Amino acid sequence: MDYANRCRRIANGYYNQGLEKAKIRDLSGAAECLKKSLHFHKYQTDARNLLGLIYYEMGETAESLVQWIISLNLQPEDNRAAEYMGRIQGKLGRLDAESQNIRKYNQSLGLARAGNDDLAILQLNRVVEINPHFVKAHLVLALLYMRRGDYTKAGKSLYKVLQIDKSHPKALWYMSIAKAHTGRAEVERKKLNNAFSHRQMQDDDIILPPTYKETTGWMTIINIVVGLALGAAVIWFLVMPAMERQLNHRHNQEMTKVLEQVNQKNQEIDALEQEKSAMEAERNEAVTSLQSMEENEQSVVFQYQRLVQILKAREAQDMNTVALVYSDLDGALITDEQSAAAVAEIRTYMETEGFQVLADLGNGARDSGDQEAALGYYQKSLNIKGDNPQVIYDMALIYQAREERDTANELFGQVIMNYPNTELAVLAKEARGY
Amino acid sequence: MIDFDEELSYYKPSLEIEAIEDAIVKSDLTDMTDIMMELIKERKE
Repeated sequence: MDYANRCRRIANGYYNQGLEKAKIRDLSGAAECLKKSLHFHKYQTDARNLLGLIYYEMGETAESLVQWIISLNLQPEDNRAAEYMGRIQGKLGRLDAESQNIRKYNQSLGLARAGNDDLAILQLNRVVEINPHFVKAHLVLALLYMRRGDYTKAGKSLYKVLQIDKSHPKALWYMSIAKAHTGRAEVERKKLNNAFSHRQMQDDDIILPPTYKETTGWMTIINIVVGLALGAAVIWFLVMPAMERQLNHRHNQEMTKVLEQVNQKNQEIDALEQEKSAMEAERNEAVTSLQSMEENEQSVVFQYQRLVQILKAREAQDMNTVALVYSDLDGALITDEQSAAAVAEIRTYMETEGFQVLADLGNGARDSGDQEAALGYYQKSLNIKGDNPQVIYDMALIYQAREERDTANELFGQVIMNYPNTELAVLAKEARGY
Repeated sequence: MIDFDEELSYYKPSLEIEAIEDAIVKSDLTDMTDIMMELIKERKE
Protein backbone atom coordinates (compact mmCIF):
# COMPACT_ATOMS: atom_id res chain seq x y z
CA MET A 1 0.00 0.00 0.00
CA ASP A 2 2.92 2.26 0.83
CA TYR A 3 4.36 1.60 -2.62
CA ALA A 4 1.11 2.62 -4.23
CA ASN A 5 1.09 5.92 -2.37
CA ARG A 6 4.68 6.54 -3.28
CA CYS A 7 3.97 5.88 -6.93
CA ARG A 8 1.03 8.27 -6.79
CA ARG A 9 3.17 10.97 -5.24
CA ILE A 10 5.89 10.53 -7.88
CA ALA A 11 3.21 10.64 -10.58
CA ASN A 12 1.84 13.86 -9.11
CA GLY A 13 5.33 15.33 -9.04
CA TYR A 14 5.91 14.57 -12.70
CA TYR A 15 2.45 15.95 -13.53
CA ASN A 16 3.33 19.22 -11.76
CA GLN A 17 6.57 19.44 -13.72
CA GLY A 18 4.72 18.73 -16.94
CA LEU A 19 2.15 21.41 -16.14
CA GLU A 20 4.86 23.98 -15.45
CA LYS A 21 6.61 23.16 -18.69
CA ALA A 22 3.35 23.27 -20.61
CA LYS A 23 2.68 26.75 -19.18
CA ILE A 24 5.94 28.06 -20.65
CA ARG A 25 5.24 26.22 -23.93
CA ASP A 26 7.93 23.62 -23.48
CA LEU A 27 5.55 21.07 -24.91
CA SER A 28 8.10 18.33 -25.64
CA GLY A 29 9.46 18.55 -22.11
CA ALA A 30 5.94 18.63 -20.69
CA ALA A 31 4.94 15.56 -22.72
CA GLU A 32 7.94 13.61 -21.35
CA CYS A 33 7.05 14.52 -17.76
CA LEU A 34 3.40 13.60 -18.25
CA LYS A 35 4.32 10.24 -19.80
CA LYS A 36 6.50 9.53 -16.78
CA SER A 37 3.68 10.55 -14.49
CA LEU A 38 1.40 8.04 -16.22
CA HIS A 39 4.06 5.31 -15.97
CA PHE A 40 3.90 5.67 -12.25
CA HIS A 41 0.17 6.05 -11.92
CA LYS A 42 -2.09 5.40 -14.89
CA TYR A 43 -5.09 6.89 -13.05
CA GLN A 44 -3.52 10.35 -13.00
CA THR A 45 -6.33 11.70 -15.18
CA ASP A 46 -5.12 15.29 -15.28
CA ALA A 47 -1.75 14.15 -16.59
CA ARG A 48 -3.40 12.06 -19.31
CA ASN A 49 -5.78 14.84 -20.31
CA LEU A 50 -2.97 17.37 -20.45
CA LEU A 51 -0.90 14.96 -22.53
CA GLY A 52 -3.84 14.73 -24.93
CA LEU A 53 -4.04 18.52 -25.09
CA ILE A 54 -0.33 18.74 -25.83
CA TYR A 55 -0.65 16.18 -28.63
CA TYR A 56 -3.58 18.15 -30.02
CA GLU A 57 -1.62 21.40 -29.86
CA MET A 58 1.21 19.74 -31.78
CA GLY A 59 -1.18 18.58 -34.50
CA GLU A 60 -1.38 14.94 -33.40
CA THR A 61 -5.17 14.76 -33.22
CA ALA A 62 -5.39 10.95 -33.24
CA GLU A 63 -2.86 10.66 -30.41
CA SER A 64 -4.81 13.17 -28.36
CA LEU A 65 -8.05 11.26 -28.95
CA VAL A 66 -6.34 8.03 -27.82
CA GLN A 67 -5.33 9.66 -24.53
CA TRP A 68 -8.76 11.18 -23.90
CA ILE A 69 -10.60 7.94 -24.70
CA ILE A 70 -8.37 5.99 -22.29
CA SER A 71 -8.83 8.74 -19.74
CA LEU A 72 -12.63 8.49 -20.06
CA ASN A 73 -12.44 4.71 -19.71
CA LEU A 74 -10.39 4.94 -16.55
CA GLN A 75 -12.50 7.76 -15.08
CA PRO A 76 -15.91 8.03 -16.72
CA GLU A 77 -17.28 10.65 -14.31
CA ASP A 78 -16.14 14.24 -13.81
CA ASN A 79 -13.60 14.14 -16.60
CA ARG A 80 -12.64 17.11 -18.79
CA ALA A 81 -11.65 14.73 -21.58
CA ALA A 82 -15.35 14.43 -22.45
CA GLU A 83 -15.49 18.18 -23.06
CA TYR A 84 -12.35 18.13 -25.22
CA MET A 85 -13.69 15.32 -27.36
CA GLY A 86 -17.08 16.98 -27.57
CA ARG A 87 -15.47 20.14 -28.93
CA ILE A 88 -13.60 18.27 -31.65
CA GLN A 89 -16.54 16.13 -32.66
CA GLY A 90 -18.98 19.03 -32.33
CA LYS A 91 -17.69 20.81 -35.41
CA LEU A 92 -19.07 19.11 -38.46
CA GLY A 93 -16.43 17.75 -40.81
CA ARG A 94 -13.55 18.86 -38.63
CA LEU A 95 -12.52 15.32 -37.74
CA ASP A 96 -12.65 14.30 -41.41
CA ALA A 97 -10.46 17.25 -42.37
CA GLU A 98 -7.98 16.35 -39.63
CA SER A 99 -7.96 12.73 -40.78
CA GLN A 100 -7.27 13.70 -44.39
CA ASN A 101 -4.55 16.06 -43.30
CA ILE A 102 -2.77 13.37 -41.30
CA ARG A 103 -3.03 11.03 -44.28
CA LYS A 104 -1.49 13.68 -46.52
CA TYR A 105 1.38 14.08 -44.06
CA ASN A 106 2.01 10.34 -44.11
CA GLN A 107 1.99 10.39 -47.93
CA SER A 108 4.41 13.32 -47.95
CA LEU A 109 6.72 11.41 -45.65
CA GLY A 110 6.68 8.48 -48.10
CA LEU A 111 7.38 10.84 -51.01
CA ALA A 112 10.27 12.46 -49.14
CA ARG A 113 11.82 9.09 -48.37
CA ALA A 114 11.49 8.12 -52.04
CA GLY A 115 13.35 11.29 -53.01
CA ASN A 116 10.33 13.17 -54.46
CA ASP A 117 11.19 16.30 -52.53
CA ASP A 118 9.23 18.68 -54.75
CA LEU A 119 5.99 16.79 -54.43
CA ALA A 120 6.55 16.24 -50.74
CA ILE A 121 7.16 19.96 -50.17
CA LEU A 122 4.02 20.83 -52.12
CA GLN A 123 1.94 18.38 -50.11
CA LEU A 124 3.45 19.45 -46.78
CA ASN A 125 2.76 23.09 -47.52
CA ARG A 126 -0.91 22.21 -47.95
CA VAL A 127 -0.83 20.22 -44.72
CA VAL A 128 0.57 23.07 -42.65
CA GLU A 129 -1.79 25.49 -44.35
CA ILE A 130 -4.75 23.45 -43.10
CA ASN A 131 -3.22 22.77 -39.69
CA PRO A 132 -0.53 25.34 -38.85
CA HIS A 133 0.14 23.54 -35.54
CA PHE A 134 1.28 20.29 -37.15
CA VAL A 135 4.80 20.24 -35.68
CA LYS A 136 5.99 17.07 -37.40
CA ALA A 137 4.90 18.39 -40.80
CA HIS A 138 6.79 21.65 -40.20
CA LEU A 139 9.90 19.70 -39.17
CA VAL A 140 9.87 17.44 -42.24
CA LEU A 141 9.22 20.49 -44.44
CA ALA A 142 12.19 22.28 -42.84
CA LEU A 143 14.36 19.23 -43.37
CA LEU A 144 13.41 19.07 -47.05
CA TYR A 145 14.08 22.77 -47.52
CA MET A 146 17.49 22.32 -45.91
CA ARG A 147 18.24 19.38 -48.23
CA ARG A 148 17.54 21.75 -51.13
CA GLY A 149 19.73 24.39 -49.55
CA ASP A 150 16.82 26.77 -48.93
CA TYR A 151 17.74 27.55 -45.34
CA THR A 152 15.62 30.71 -45.19
CA LYS A 153 12.38 28.83 -45.82
CA ALA A 154 13.54 26.09 -43.48
CA GLY A 155 14.14 28.77 -40.84
CA LYS A 156 10.57 30.07 -41.30
CA SER A 157 9.10 26.60 -40.77
CA LEU A 158 11.29 26.04 -37.73
CA TYR A 159 10.34 29.41 -36.32
CA LYS A 160 6.70 28.33 -36.44
CA VAL A 161 7.58 25.08 -34.65
CA LEU A 162 9.42 26.97 -31.93
CA GLN A 163 6.43 29.27 -31.49
CA ILE A 164 4.34 26.19 -30.70
CA ASP A 165 6.97 24.26 -28.76
CA LYS A 166 9.76 26.50 -27.51
CA SER A 167 12.14 23.74 -26.53
CA HIS A 168 11.58 21.22 -29.25
CA PRO A 169 15.03 19.59 -29.44
CA LYS A 170 14.96 18.77 -33.14
CA ALA A 171 13.60 22.18 -34.09
CA LEU A 172 16.35 23.85 -32.05
CA TRP A 173 19.00 21.68 -33.68
CA TYR A 174 17.70 22.32 -37.22
CA MET A 175 17.40 26.01 -36.44
CA SER A 176 21.03 26.20 -35.37
CA ILE A 177 22.05 24.63 -38.70
CA ALA A 178 19.75 26.96 -40.65
CA LYS A 179 21.11 29.99 -38.82
CA ALA A 180 24.66 28.91 -39.49
CA HIS A 181 23.95 28.74 -43.20
CA THR A 182 22.07 32.01 -43.45
CA GLY A 183 24.55 34.03 -41.36
CA ARG A 184 21.90 34.66 -38.78
CA ALA A 185 23.97 32.88 -36.13
CA GLU A 186 26.84 35.36 -36.60
CA VAL A 187 24.47 38.33 -36.35
CA GLU A 188 22.95 37.02 -33.15
CA ARG A 189 26.36 36.30 -31.71
CA LYS A 190 27.44 39.90 -32.39
CA LYS A 191 24.26 41.20 -30.82
CA LEU A 192 24.91 39.14 -27.74
CA ASN A 193 28.52 40.37 -27.60
CA ASN A 194 27.36 43.96 -27.89
CA ALA A 195 24.70 43.44 -25.27
CA PHE A 196 27.20 42.24 -22.70
CA SER A 197 30.30 44.21 -23.73
CA HIS A 198 29.52 47.56 -22.08
CA ARG A 199 32.52 49.07 -20.37
CA GLN A 200 32.21 49.21 -16.65
CA MET A 201 32.08 52.76 -15.30
CA GLN A 202 35.17 53.96 -13.50
CA ASP A 203 35.06 56.18 -10.45
CA ASP A 204 36.43 59.19 -12.30
CA ASP A 205 34.09 58.91 -15.27
CA ILE A 206 31.79 61.93 -15.62
CA ILE A 207 28.41 61.84 -17.20
CA LEU A 208 27.60 65.20 -18.67
CA PRO A 209 23.91 66.01 -18.34
CA PRO A 210 22.19 67.75 -21.23
CA THR A 211 22.79 71.44 -20.58
CA TYR A 212 20.04 73.97 -20.09
CA LYS A 213 20.51 76.85 -22.48
CA GLU A 214 19.25 80.25 -21.48
CA THR A 215 17.29 81.64 -24.37
CA THR A 216 17.82 85.23 -25.46
CA GLY A 217 15.13 87.78 -26.41
CA TRP A 218 15.77 87.33 -30.12
CA MET A 219 15.62 83.58 -29.77
CA THR A 220 12.23 83.91 -28.05
CA ILE A 221 10.91 86.03 -30.90
CA ILE A 222 12.29 83.62 -33.48
CA ASN A 223 10.76 80.71 -31.58
CA ILE A 224 7.40 82.48 -31.50
CA VAL A 225 7.62 83.25 -35.22
CA VAL A 226 8.60 79.66 -36.01
CA GLY A 227 5.76 78.45 -33.80
CA LEU A 228 3.29 80.71 -35.58
CA ALA A 229 4.60 79.58 -38.93
CA LEU A 230 4.25 75.96 -37.92
CA GLY A 231 0.75 76.63 -36.62
CA ALA A 232 -0.17 78.37 -39.86
CA ALA A 233 1.31 75.50 -41.84
CA VAL A 234 -0.67 72.99 -39.80
CA ILE A 235 -3.86 74.99 -40.37
CA TRP A 236 -3.07 75.42 -44.05
CA PHE A 237 -2.08 71.85 -44.80
CA LEU A 238 -4.15 69.86 -42.33
CA VAL A 239 -7.10 71.88 -41.06
CA MET A 240 -7.98 73.82 -44.21
CA PRO A 241 -8.19 70.83 -46.56
CA ALA A 242 -10.41 69.03 -44.05
CA MET A 243 -12.64 72.09 -43.72
CA GLU A 244 -12.67 72.55 -47.47
CA ARG A 245 -13.65 68.93 -47.93
CA GLN A 246 -16.36 69.34 -45.33
CA LEU A 247 -17.66 72.50 -46.98
CA ASN A 248 -17.55 70.91 -50.41
CA HIS A 249 -19.37 67.92 -49.09
CA ARG A 250 -22.05 70.11 -47.50
CA HIS A 251 -22.28 72.24 -50.64
CA ASN A 252 -22.64 69.13 -52.79
CA GLN A 253 -25.35 67.82 -50.53
CA GLU A 254 -27.21 71.13 -50.76
CA MET A 255 -26.76 71.21 -54.52
CA THR A 256 -28.05 67.69 -54.78
CA LYS A 257 -31.07 68.62 -52.68
CA VAL A 258 -31.78 71.73 -54.76
CA LEU A 259 -31.36 69.80 -58.00
CA GLU A 260 -33.74 67.19 -56.72
CA GLN A 261 -36.27 69.90 -55.92
CA VAL A 262 -35.80 71.48 -59.36
CA ASN A 263 -36.25 68.12 -61.00
CA GLN A 264 -39.37 67.53 -58.99
CA LYS A 265 -40.78 70.93 -59.95
CA ASN A 266 -39.92 70.34 -63.62
CA GLN A 267 -41.73 67.07 -63.49
CA GLU A 268 -44.73 68.79 -61.92
CA ILE A 269 -44.64 71.50 -64.63
CA ASP A 270 -44.45 68.86 -67.36
CA ALA A 271 -47.37 67.02 -65.84
CA LEU A 272 -49.40 70.24 -65.60
CA GLU A 273 -48.56 71.19 -69.19
CA GLN A 274 -49.62 67.78 -70.40
CA GLU A 275 -52.84 68.14 -68.41
CA LYS A 276 -53.37 71.61 -69.90
CA SER A 277 -52.82 70.33 -73.45
CA ALA A 278 -55.24 67.49 -72.87
CA MET A 279 -57.82 69.89 -71.47
CA GLU A 280 -57.35 72.29 -74.40
CA ALA A 281 -57.81 69.44 -76.85
CA GLU A 282 -60.95 68.40 -75.02
CA ARG A 283 -62.19 71.99 -75.06
CA ASN A 284 -61.51 72.39 -78.79
CA GLU A 285 -63.27 69.12 -79.45
CA ALA A 286 -66.22 70.26 -77.38
CA VAL A 287 -66.33 73.63 -79.20
CA THR A 288 -66.14 71.92 -82.58
CA SER A 289 -68.82 69.50 -81.57
CA LEU A 290 -70.99 72.38 -80.33
CA GLN A 291 -70.47 74.36 -83.53
CA SER A 292 -71.28 71.33 -85.59
CA MET A 293 -74.41 70.76 -83.57
CA GLU A 294 -75.39 74.42 -83.93
CA GLU A 295 -74.75 74.38 -87.67
CA ASN A 296 -76.74 71.22 -88.06
CA GLU A 297 -79.54 72.65 -86.03
CA GLN A 298 -79.41 75.89 -88.03
CA SER A 299 -79.27 73.97 -91.26
CA VAL A 300 -82.32 71.93 -90.30
CA VAL A 301 -84.11 75.05 -89.21
CA PHE A 302 -83.21 76.73 -92.53
CA GLN A 303 -84.58 73.80 -94.48
CA TYR A 304 -87.85 74.00 -92.62
CA GLN A 305 -87.93 77.76 -93.20
CA ARG A 306 -87.41 77.12 -96.95
CA LEU A 307 -90.14 74.51 -96.95
CA VAL A 308 -92.52 76.98 -95.34
CA GLN A 309 -91.46 79.60 -97.91
CA ILE A 310 -92.11 77.14 -100.75
CA LEU A 311 -95.51 76.18 -99.39
CA LYS A 312 -96.48 79.86 -99.00
CA ALA A 313 -95.29 80.69 -102.53
CA ARG A 314 -97.23 77.76 -103.91
CA GLU A 315 -100.36 79.00 -102.17
CA ALA A 316 -99.76 82.39 -103.75
CA GLN A 317 -99.17 80.69 -107.16
CA ASP A 318 -95.70 82.23 -107.23
CA MET A 319 -94.08 79.31 -109.04
CA ASN A 320 -90.85 81.19 -109.73
CA THR A 321 -90.22 81.49 -105.99
CA VAL A 322 -91.23 77.86 -105.50
CA ALA A 323 -88.68 76.74 -108.11
CA LEU A 324 -85.90 79.00 -106.86
CA VAL A 325 -86.28 78.15 -103.17
CA TYR A 326 -86.64 74.46 -103.96
CA SER A 327 -83.35 74.48 -105.82
CA ASP A 328 -81.64 75.45 -102.55
CA LEU A 329 -83.66 73.01 -100.37
CA ASP A 330 -81.93 69.98 -98.82
CA GLY A 331 -84.85 67.60 -98.50
CA ALA A 332 -82.83 64.95 -96.66
CA LEU A 333 -82.71 67.12 -93.50
CA ILE A 334 -86.48 67.23 -93.27
CA THR A 335 -87.34 64.04 -91.45
CA ASP A 336 -90.77 64.39 -89.89
CA GLU A 337 -93.45 62.52 -91.76
CA GLN A 338 -95.81 65.34 -92.76
CA SER A 339 -93.08 67.71 -93.93
CA ALA A 340 -91.32 64.92 -95.84
CA ALA A 341 -94.61 64.19 -97.65
CA ALA A 342 -94.89 67.88 -98.60
CA VAL A 343 -91.30 67.84 -99.85
CA ALA A 344 -92.02 64.72 -101.94
CA GLU A 345 -95.04 66.41 -103.48
CA ILE A 346 -93.05 69.52 -104.37
CA ARG A 347 -90.23 67.34 -105.76
CA THR A 348 -92.71 65.63 -108.11
CA TYR A 349 -93.92 69.02 -109.30
CA MET A 350 -90.40 70.27 -109.84
CA GLU A 351 -89.36 67.19 -111.81
CA THR A 352 -92.38 67.44 -114.08
CA GLU A 353 -92.92 71.17 -114.43
CA GLY A 354 -90.85 73.21 -112.04
CA PHE A 355 -87.56 72.58 -113.87
CA GLN A 356 -88.97 74.43 -116.83
CA VAL A 357 -89.74 77.44 -114.64
CA LEU A 358 -86.02 77.63 -113.79
CA ALA A 359 -85.14 77.20 -117.48
CA ASP A 360 -87.50 80.05 -118.34
CA LEU A 361 -85.89 82.20 -115.66
CA GLY A 362 -82.56 81.38 -117.26
CA ASN A 363 -83.86 82.39 -120.66
CA GLY A 364 -85.13 85.65 -119.23
CA ALA A 365 -81.79 86.42 -117.67
CA ARG A 366 -79.97 85.53 -120.91
CA ASP A 367 -82.25 87.76 -122.89
CA SER A 368 -81.62 90.57 -120.44
CA GLY A 369 -77.86 90.04 -120.93
CA ASP A 370 -77.14 88.56 -117.49
CA GLN A 371 -75.27 85.48 -118.63
CA GLU A 372 -74.01 84.60 -115.18
CA ALA A 373 -77.52 84.49 -113.70
CA ALA A 374 -78.76 82.60 -116.74
CA LEU A 375 -76.08 79.93 -116.27
CA GLY A 376 -77.10 79.68 -112.57
CA TYR A 377 -80.76 79.12 -113.43
CA TYR A 378 -79.91 76.62 -116.15
CA GLN A 379 -77.68 74.67 -113.80
CA LYS A 380 -80.40 74.56 -111.12
CA SER A 381 -82.89 73.33 -113.72
CA LEU A 382 -80.46 70.62 -114.78
CA ASN A 383 -79.91 69.65 -111.15
CA ILE A 384 -83.63 68.88 -110.90
CA LYS A 385 -83.92 67.30 -114.33
CA GLY A 386 -80.71 66.52 -116.12
CA ASP A 387 -82.35 65.05 -119.20
CA ASN A 388 -83.05 68.42 -120.88
CA PRO A 389 -81.11 68.96 -124.15
CA GLN A 390 -82.56 72.44 -124.67
CA VAL A 391 -81.11 73.75 -121.42
CA ILE A 392 -77.75 72.09 -122.14
CA TYR A 393 -77.67 73.61 -125.59
CA ASP A 394 -78.61 77.05 -124.21
CA MET A 395 -75.80 76.84 -121.65
CA ALA A 396 -73.37 75.81 -124.39
CA LEU A 397 -74.37 78.85 -126.44
CA ILE A 398 -73.70 81.18 -123.50
CA TYR A 399 -70.25 79.60 -122.94
CA GLN A 400 -69.54 79.93 -126.63
CA ALA A 401 -70.53 83.58 -126.52
CA ARG A 402 -68.18 84.03 -123.55
CA GLU A 403 -65.49 82.23 -125.59
CA GLU A 404 -65.19 79.45 -123.10
CA ARG A 405 -64.82 77.00 -125.92
CA ASP A 406 -63.86 73.89 -124.00
CA THR A 407 -66.93 74.04 -121.76
CA ALA A 408 -69.12 75.00 -124.68
CA ASN A 409 -67.78 72.17 -126.86
CA GLU A 410 -68.25 69.68 -124.06
CA LEU A 411 -71.90 70.70 -123.66
CA PHE A 412 -72.45 70.66 -127.44
CA GLY A 413 -70.86 67.23 -127.44
CA GLN A 414 -73.35 66.03 -124.81
CA VAL A 415 -76.24 67.18 -126.97
CA ILE A 416 -74.75 65.58 -130.10
CA MET A 417 -73.96 62.30 -128.39
CA ASN A 418 -77.02 61.92 -126.13
CA TYR A 419 -79.65 63.31 -128.48
CA PRO A 420 -78.32 62.51 -131.97
CA ASN A 421 -81.52 62.57 -133.95
CA THR A 422 -82.82 65.91 -132.76
CA GLU A 423 -82.79 69.34 -134.28
CA LEU A 424 -80.70 70.53 -131.34
CA ALA A 425 -78.02 67.97 -132.26
CA VAL A 426 -77.83 69.41 -135.77
CA LEU A 427 -77.63 72.92 -134.36
CA ALA A 428 -74.95 71.81 -131.92
CA LYS A 429 -72.90 70.31 -134.72
CA GLU A 430 -73.18 73.54 -136.65
CA ALA A 431 -72.16 75.51 -133.60
CA ARG A 432 -69.08 73.32 -133.21
CA GLY A 433 -68.30 73.81 -136.89
CA TYR A 434 -68.91 70.25 -138.15
CA MET B 1 26.50 18.01 -40.91
CA ILE B 2 23.09 16.53 -41.06
CA ASP B 3 22.39 13.19 -42.80
CA PHE B 4 19.05 13.97 -44.32
CA ASP B 5 18.10 10.42 -45.29
CA GLU B 6 18.91 9.14 -41.84
CA GLU B 7 17.11 12.06 -40.26
CA LEU B 8 14.03 11.39 -42.37
CA SER B 9 14.01 7.77 -41.27
CA TYR B 10 13.50 8.91 -37.68
CA TYR B 11 10.12 10.40 -38.57
CA LYS B 12 7.31 7.91 -38.16
CA PRO B 13 3.92 8.25 -39.83
CA SER B 14 1.36 10.00 -37.67
CA LEU B 15 -1.41 8.00 -36.11
CA GLU B 16 -4.47 8.19 -38.33
CA ILE B 17 -7.95 8.70 -36.93
CA GLU B 18 -9.09 5.33 -38.31
CA ALA B 19 -6.29 3.59 -36.37
CA ILE B 20 -7.31 4.99 -32.98
CA GLU B 21 -9.15 1.84 -31.96
CA ASP B 22 -6.12 -0.39 -32.66
CA ALA B 23 -3.86 2.03 -30.85
CA ILE B 24 -6.06 1.95 -27.75
CA VAL B 25 -6.24 -1.84 -27.76
CA LYS B 26 -2.48 -2.16 -28.17
CA SER B 27 -1.60 0.49 -25.62
CA ASP B 28 0.11 -0.87 -22.55
CA LEU B 29 -1.50 0.67 -19.50
CA THR B 30 0.63 -1.15 -16.97
CA ASP B 31 2.01 1.36 -14.50
CA MET B 32 4.56 1.14 -11.74
CA THR B 33 1.83 0.45 -9.17
CA ASP B 34 0.71 -2.63 -11.13
CA ILE B 35 4.30 -3.89 -11.35
CA MET B 36 4.89 -3.37 -7.64
CA MET B 37 1.66 -5.13 -6.75
CA GLU B 38 2.62 -8.02 -9.02
CA LEU B 39 6.03 -8.28 -7.37
CA ILE B 40 4.51 -8.25 -3.88
CA LYS B 41 2.03 -10.90 -4.95
CA GLU B 42 4.82 -13.12 -6.34
CA ARG B 43 6.88 -12.71 -3.17
CA LYS B 44 3.94 -13.76 -1.02
CA GLU B 45 3.46 -16.87 -3.10
